[in-house]
Amino acid sequence: MPSNRWIKNALPGALGILLFLLIWELLGRTGVLGLTWPPLTSVIATLIDPSKTALFLRATSASLTSAGTGYLAGGALGLVAALAGHLIPTLQEGLSRFAAVVNSVPPIALASVFLVLMTTESTPTAVAAIKVFFIIFIAVQSGLRSATPAQHDLFTSLGTGRFKRLWLLEVPTMLPVAMSGLKIAVPVALIGAFVGEWFGASRGLGVLILNAMQNFQISMLWSAVLLATLVSLAVYFILTMVESIVRLRLT
Amino acid sequence: MNNHQINQTQLSPGPLAGRGTSFIDFDQISKSFEIDGQKVVALENVTFNLSEGEFAAIIGPSGCGKSTALRIIAALEEPTSGTVTIAGQPPTQQSTEHALGVAFQDHALLPWLNVAENIELPFRISGRPVTAERIDELISLVGLTEFKSARPKQLSGGMRQRVSIARALALSPQLLLLDEPFGSLDAVTRRRMNIELQRIWSEFRPSTLLVTHAVEEALFLADRIFVLTGRPGRLLREVDVPFERPRTDDTMRSEFFHRMVDEMTAALDSTENAPQYAVESLD
Repeated sequence: MPSNRWIKNALPGALGILLFLLIWELLGRTGVLGLTWPPLTSVIATLIDPSKTALFLRATSASLTSAGTGYLAGGALGLVAALAGHLIPTLQEGLSRFAAVVNSVPPIALASVFLVLMTTESTPTAVAAIKVFFIIFIAVQSGLRSATPAQHDLFTSLGTGRFKRLWLLEVPTMLPVAMSGLKIAVPVALIGAFVGEWFGASRGLGVLILNAMQNFQISMLWSAVLLATLVSLAVYFILTMVESIVRLRLT
Repeated sequence: MNNHQINQTQLSPGPLAGRGTSFIDFDQISKSFEIDGQKVVALENVTFNLSEGEFAAIIGPSGCGKSTALRIIAALEEPTSGTVTIAGQPPTQQSTEHALGVAFQDHALLPWLNVAENIELPFRISGRPVTAERIDELISLVGLTEFKSARPKQLSGGMRQRVSIARALALSPQLLLLDEPFGSLDAVTRRRMNIELQRIWSEFRPSTLLVTHAVEEALFLADRIFVLTGRPGRLLREVDVPFERPRTDDTMRSEFFHRMVDEMTAALDSTENAPQYAVESLD
């Protein structure tokens, strides 16, 4: 029976999560790991404390705004660069190397450079954009090459022009791969924004984490981390569903 | 015996009709590949020609280069030496003018399009106008009216090949190339597809080249058969097929048909030793 199978598949996972949370709570209650490991219940209490709601909301919306802007800008740049490399073969190698070099610069180092180049408020967006750029560039580039040789032979035998081949064959085969890239890029954009926020931004979850750490507000620190994780998971989950729809439609 | 020629003249009158005019000139073609640093000769000095409106088949053992010959005619590969002309023009001309239809062994349907959209693809590529009626006509020609909106993954292997054939015929091409289109089908489906293909072909009579390793298929469908040897592919013989059209199940059951199948199979078997001397002939 399908419902039985569903329970069978989901049960071990659910039990595993429950066990993990239980151990977290117990470790916090007994205090064996010291003051820095609070019980889960006190973390959640801080997170849902009405006096802190405004603070959390402001921080979350600031981080989501810079991560989101960086995500869109980096994604658009990655798409344009990959398309340019695909259509103009002489650009291909240079663009790939440039993207690889940019990607190998650690985000911390990037953030300090951006800080010098622009304002503290735009640094989170810029770091997020750079990290997303590379992922989307690679995904679109390989997606555009994923049509089969037989499909290309068909288009050649039909006397297809360059742009029609792109639009009718290469873009449809690219979309599912690009969608996977967009999904993977979500947590990366958020991490980029958090790291960017450590360099003097006035608000954001990264700022909250940094302040709580420096002021030894342990349950505040954990609440912020938990919130960041929940936000990242939620967006990732939404894009996973979009991806499965795209795959169903295009493959 | 020459009944089909008479039909053909009636169907497509004009100065180019009939078997007299050479449409494809495949002239002293050789093709070799480099595989892991070793030179492999796929075709060696192969010459044949195809007349306008003729259905020819190339048969030969696996790896004899028969698909390579078709790919050279489709301008998907270039010969190492020799020249191919189609109606006096280089083969690329056919595809540039959207005058070529190819059905590939791997049907190469686009999985994100349904049956009707896949058949419509050549029109979208060529920019030629098409009506919904014309698409419906092509779909019904291959008997898939009920599956018009189905996606390729919902179809059986035989149905996918029918879509692929309808798509190859969409632009009413002057030249139809069939690269083992039924190679992955079971024997019963294959035989049914052969009968259907003959019916469809008879409606348009485009010049057609079929590549197959099945002797029965070649004898059932073609006017003329070119037999290639194993690697390197050389033209072993050319066989005129005498059966009248329309050919039926009875044609396939006749003693004469069986005798020809046996004879051709024996000819093919005699080429099976070819790979050994082929390797020697490389040095």
